Amino acid sequence: MKSDILKVTIERGADRRDVFEVPAYDNQTVLDVVSWVQQNTDPTLSYRFACRVGMCGSCAMMVNGVPRWTCRTHISKVLDGNAVTIGPLRNLPVIKDLAVDMDPFFDKWVAAEGVHHGGLTRDDPIAPVDQTSPARVEANAGIECINCSVCYAACDTVAGNPDYLGPAALQRAWSLLNDAKDEGRSAILEAVSGSDGCHNCHSMGSCTTYCPNELDPMSAIAGLKRETAKSFFKRGR
Amino acid sequence: MRIADIDRHDTDILILGTGGAGLFAALHAQQSAPEGTRITIAVKGLIGKCGCTRMVQGGYNVALGGGDTVERHFMDTIQGGKWLPDQDMAWRLCEQAVVRIRELENEVGCFFDRNPDGTLHQKAFAGQTADRTVHKGDLTGIEIINRLMEKVLASGVEKLQEHRAVGLIPTKDGSAIAGVLMIDMRSGKFRLVRAKTVLMGTGGGPTMYKYHTPSGDKTMDGLAMALRAGLRLRDMEMVQFHPTGLLAGDHTRMTGTVLEEGLRGAGGQLISHAGQRFMFDYDTKGERATRDVVSRGIYAEMRKNNNPEQEGVFISMSHLGPDNVRQKFPGMVKRCADSGFDLAAGKVEVVPTAHYFMGGMVVDVDTRTAMEGLYVAGEDAGGAHGSNRLGGNGVANSTVYGGIAGDMMGADVAGMSLRDPDEDVLMSELDRAIHPLTRKPDLVLPLRKQLQNLMWEDVGVMRTEAGMKRGLTGIAKVSDALMEVGVEASTLAFNLTWHDWLNLRSLCDISEVITKAGLARENSRGAHYREDFPDEGAMKDSEFTVAQMKDGNVHVSREPVQFTIVSPGETILPEGEPETLVAAL
Repeated sequence: MKSDILKVTIERGADRRDVFEVPAYDNQTVLDVVSWVQQNTDPTLSYRFACRVGMCGSCAMMVNGVPRWTCRTHISKVLDGNAVTIGPLRNLPVIKDLAVDMDPFFDKWVAAEGVHHGGLTRDDPIAPVDQTSPARVEANAGIECINCSVCYAACDTVAGNPDYLGPAALQRAWSLLNDAKDEGRSAILEAVSGSDGCHNCHSMGSCTTYCPNELDPMSAIAGLKRETAKSFFKRGR
Repeated sequence: MRIADIDRHDTDILILGTGGAGLFAALHAQQSAPEGTRITIAVKGLIGKCGCTRMVQGGYNVALGGGDTVERHFMDTIQGGKWLPDQDMAWRLCEQAVVRIRELENEVGCFFDRNPDGTLHQKAFAGQTADRTVHKGDLTGIEIINRLMEKVLASGVEKLQEHRAVGLIPTKDGSAIAGVLMIDMRSGKFRLVRAKTVLMGTGGGPTMYKYHTPSGDKTMDGLAMALRAGLRLRDMEMVQFHPTGLLAGDHTRMTGTVLEEGLRGAGGQLISHAGQRFMFDYDTKGERATRDVVSRGIYAEMRKNNNPEQEGVFISMSHLGPDNVRQKFPGMVKRCADSGFDLAAGKVEVVPTAHYFMGGMVVDVDTRTAMEGLYVAGEDAGGAHGSNRLGGNGVANSTVYGGIAGDMMGADVAGMSLRDPDEDVLMSELDRAIHPLTRKPDLVLPLRKQLQNLMWEDVGVMRTEAGMKRGLTGIAKVSDALMEVGVEASTLAFNLTWHDWLNLRSLCDISEVITKAGLARENSRGAHYREDFPDEGAMKDSEFTVAQMKDGNVHVSREPVQFTIVSPGETILPEGEPETLVAAL
């Protein structure tokens, strides 16, 4: 039978866990539950959200130990009886309570050369693109990533090696490598083949399992492994 | 908290906001400013993550040939805005969009959808006479902002994330900007950032309505700061409602979020509480009429119904075939499913939802304001859209004018120096921000709901003099009550409830301006509909409203629209041009 009251445990730092009773509603997301606590019971609770609809990637948290977008996770999906445990996203420094510092994630995005390396300018015409070409299809596969850090939090390799670039940054690098407009091929391969790069990945696949957008960073990383290996052999000849 | 506790920080170019306007300004300022210029970008949330450009679904309006022209785009913008737009701003928007889209594709690296021949795919939204909207599926904003965000993150500009601007601080004589007072939200400390030039690109976001689409960080802070600084705000009565916001109850943040326009375009039907289609009672285009018409149609149906269990109407897609709907609108179907609704095979309850704010600061076509050193771009600036914004012109506006602002600041900064702030204004802005910390803590949320309900009822989709006057009284009550609500001040670090209070403060201030401007416009134009003045008035006599704070009170005046490029009844399209290039459905 459905309970009228949810038992919500919120992890606030290493040794503080607060339990709140929150009224249950028909349409209720994990973010709604967290918001209810801050707006009604404990005004000091800190968390982060922006868009409310899975577009901005600001509100990911650990829900029962699993990284999720809280705005798009219906509470009924994660309840254990009437209980749920919510904590800050794994693998990132906590600022306060449920809000983490995402800078390391974005620093790695930049370190992986996850930015367009252009040759053309605003004065050039827009070049035709065959949307069905294999390279464009491959580049497009990961492009809807909203950099929410769910894959980064899910990744055990990041947990073991905090310097590892991580799935999202590497997936972005793979998109750029396949983008015919991008002129940064050697810089990207250099960036992702270093000691903290794609070869750290053990293909455990948590990134692909947990991506709320159903993207496949693991395959993108496999692509980078192939390309960096090829380029290594070429260089060796 | 004393003035001496304020951390002081200097830069050359300060940018507030990281939507399309702020990010483009940062890139252009870097390109145009002299070597060694310090550029700082500050944002209430995380860079690129808060703000509304990211939430753009439809796309980017730009005339790229195939019969379409800048002139045609301009005429659609003027006619869509019911002759209220500032024509020079609208022209610049249409003309520069052509450059900006090439920049997005070639320099920023955006992916946009293509035709089979490899050219950009363009579609037409309601109110457009050509297939003009460039897009990336139905998630165009994510693509544009992600790519811009990477560029800015890699560019080395100084980042002030989770820094909330609380006050514009002018010089002692008030003629120029000296800096911006901010709260570093992570620590709760105040920081005065002085800069030679400041761009305000904080975005509008009419979240003072019960149903609204913008992201949670949007609370009109920029316009509230501009109002207090004595700057002029135009078209403040013009709030655009999107017809189909999700209705899921008042305890969930999902309520109000947009179900996209394309659903109606593809044949989606709106069904009343009585199970009947109704839009053809209001317009010959039915569900495919423009946003303002459909919003009013739904609102009128809602008023006919007295069932509190079913407040809205329904959007139904299933007659198009559930599998077809799933294939055509995967994002929307999945979003609804995550929230517990079946868009493909069932029906989903919807309600008009406050979406975009056409009103904003008075600026010139170079984004300059009356205050030296202060520039404005994006939704904070008024004028380009007049009384109604066409779908696809919002992201074009923020990116075009953000880039222009960056160019202007980059060029102007060499001739400017850092200025001394008016310490009295600084003190009063500080006092205003810490006011709740000295009162007994209480809940902020009930007051916010009170404001949202009264704005929806009295200053919403359909307005009357009596309603708006009632609204003004209600706003004043909420406003006064808020001043008695305190916030738990044991820790100021990441204190969301303090920011909820400051958010509501901004919303109350701008709600009053919206209502007073609404009372001043005694006709019905675009987004503004007066039941007591349903006539749109003569186009040639068009006036726009200007609101300004004088001696602590909001005053609204009316000024004639200058038809600098085209007059009502005329066109700049060549003789014999067809009225529309869009094939009839």
